[in-house]
Amino acid sequence: MINKILTFLSRITVRLLIFNILIVFLPVAALLYLDTYEQQLLRALEHALVQQGRILASALAGQNPLQPDSARRILQQLEQRHEARLRIVDPKGRLLADSSRLGPRRDEVTAAGANAEDVVPAEQRLLYLIATYPVQLYRRLFRPPEPPFESAEFYINTSILMGPEIQEALEGRYGALTRISTGGQRSVTLYSAIPIRSEGSVVGAVLVSQSTYRILRDLYELRLEIFTIFLISLAVAIALSLLASTTIAAPVRKLCRQAREILDHRGRLRGHIRFNRRRDEIGDLSRSLEEMTRKLQGHIEFVESFSSDISHELRNPLASIRSAGEMIAQTKSGQDRDRFLALIQKEVARMQHLLGAVREISLLDAQLEEEERASVEVGQILKRVVEAHGLRGGSTVRIAISQNTGPITVSMAPERLAQVLENLLENALSFSPPDGEVRIDLCRDRGQGAIGFEDDGPGIPEQHLEKIFDRFFSFRPEEESSGSAASTPRHLGLGLAIVKAIVEGYGGGVKAENRTVNGVGLRGARFEVRLPVVDA
Amino acid sequence: MALVDDEQNIRELVSYALQQEGYRVVAYRDGEEAWTDFRQSLPDLVILDIIMPRMDGLELCRKIRSLSETLPLIFLTSKDEEFDKVLGLELGADDYLCKPFSTRELLARVKVLFRRRTLALGGDSDGEDSILRCGSLEMDRMRHGVLWKGQNVPLTVTEFRILEALVRQPGYARTREQLLQAGYPFDEYMSDRNIDGHIKRIRKKISSLDPDFDGIETIYGLGYRYRADVDS
Repeated sequence: MINKILTFLSRITVRLLIFNILIVFLPVAALLYLDTYEQQLLRALEHALVQQGRILASALAGQNPLQPDSARRILQQLEQRHEARLRIVDPKGRLLADSSRLGPRRDEVTAAGANAEDVVPAEQRLLYLIATYPVQLYRRLFRPPEPPFESAEFYINTSILMGPEIQEALEGRYGALTRISTGGQRSVTLYSAIPIRSEGSVVGAVLVSQSTYRILRDLYELRLEIFTIFLISLAVAIALSLLASTTIAAPVRKLCRQAREILDHRGRLRGHIRFNRRRDEIGDLSRSLEEMTRKLQGHIEFVESFSSDISHELRNPLASIRSAGEMIAQTKSGQDRDRFLALIQKEVARMQHLLGAVREISLLDAQLEEEERASVEVGQILKRVVEAHGLRGGSTVRIAISQNTGPITVSMAPERLAQVLENLLENALSFSPPDGEVRIDLCRDRGQGAIGFEDDGPGIPEQHLEKIFDRFFSFRPEEESSGSAASTPRHLGLGLAIVKAIVEGYGGGVKAENRTVNGVGLRGARFEVRLPVVDA
Repeated sequence: MALVDDEQNIRELVSYALQQEGYRVVAYRDGEEAWTDFRQSLPDLVILDIIMPRMDGLELCRKIRSLSETLPLIFLTSKDEEFDKVLGLELGADDYLCKPFSTRELLARVKVLFRRRTLALGGDSDGEDSILRCGSLEMDRMRHGVLWKGQNVPLTVTEFRILEALVRQPGYARTREQLLQAGYPFDEYMSDRNIDGHIKRIRKKISSLDPDFDGIETIYGLGYRYRADVDS
């Protein structure tokens, strides 16, 4: 179950969705900031109240006792252009003047007044209720209950304004109190009382009060707007995630399905990854996968055909040995028996030779990688290979070397280079007539060293040019008539295959062709090896 | 007879063995060399390898068949994959042997093919008891000839032996090992898999004459059985 959930969560589609949604939650974080903002607004409001109170108090200062008329006049002169409710109280707590009695109560009117009737307040809209429900729940469950504010009804019920803030003010200090607003609103009303002084004694107090309702309403609207933005973003995020997933996850899924399908139930490769034209990373991935399966297929075919080739090659000598054995059992002539025994030995030697060569060619790839490369000069190695051949003697074929350029330096294991040259030389010599000539030419061409072997032999039949470097491919029309095959093991058709494997392992190439001059065929073949040159 | 193989030693040994039996043998190194001679005159029997440089055995076989439909041909193969190709009806090989083959087995096959050919040419004089009948199927052990509802079924020697082993006791199951033993009495290098291929081809050959043929039953996990009630 947990595993299932983890798998589900690690799906690209799901992850995209989660990331995108997380980003969308950023505006929600702004809501938290709004709390700070609210604090600041409230502080600014209080500050403004105090300022108003101070101005009024200083306007009334100097009268002793306070004149209710002048107090009322001052308030009248303000013409209700202030938002706070201003009251002036004498030291006994009697109300001398009240701005809201002089005209419509602006601040509280706006709160519960005409505006609110046709517009549903933000905090009562369904959306807001839904959005704030978890917060409300959280507050109810986890926040300790706040001490209830004293209600603003206080002044309505008590005709004598003897609230604690007034007391403070009358004692010459600044008094402040917060009360819950009347009318069932969630706002509070701030009260600030400032003493009015006359010649050192307090002659009354100014009480400034204003509901925070306006601030709260603005904040509610802001919250609602942010929440709306959040909802829209959420929808957009989900849409974008799904879009992204169809362009990313869906092709990946498709690729995955293909990858699974190219293996049949027995785990063998069947078919290919279909070529994908996409230019993005998924296209790259599909192309890499396609190339990988193609190479794998090639390798599997190589392994299969290799084992089939080997069994084929082993069957021929085995057939000879078996027949020879049967013949020995039957024949009465001692001469024939010796002939068959010699034949068996020869075939056994051939099988051994074959197995050795097979081992070599199958290990070649691994060995080529491990070999230590050195900068070697092709001309020098070639000279030594030719010399060694001369030392063995027995050949009447001339060997001519022509080097048209300076030294050709390649990065190879010297023995490998020698092996390549040896095999090519052997091959050329074996096809040469006794009075023939093998010509070896070295030259540089486009950053590669080209080594060509030409012989005067019969050439390569057109249909065999492609197969000449294949394993076990051997075409020697005159081999057996020469009679030399009796003593040395027969050619296995691996020499050129080994050359090809080595040269390609070192990043070079091989080529076989029949000699031509001006498009006219000559007698003889030409083998060319190209190796990348390093500048020593 | 002609022997075509690119292996010198095999040519030498097989020629020797055939000559010991009194056959006249001409050995060729490859299909092209053989074909040059065959165009002048055809031998009585050809033994040929498949993989040869220049003209390979399959091409030579096709060319020979264009001259003669009945010339007995024995293939020598060294690749398992070649079995199907050689024994397909279209190529018209009479038999094949898989390398490494036994020379004695080769001689036995040669003898069978020669006898079949002589008897086919010279009429059916004797050997009444060599006829094996089972419903519509008639097998002549002397001639190695098979008739289904009177029509000739061109089976190879191996196929004949396998079918014979099944028909000799209709209704009795034969394991693959038993059939292998019947088909290749001298060969221990064969795998069971070959039997399935042979059975498939026998079925195909008879079915090409009679699409309703279902005489050979497969018994899973065991082998095959020739149905006793095949014609009822």
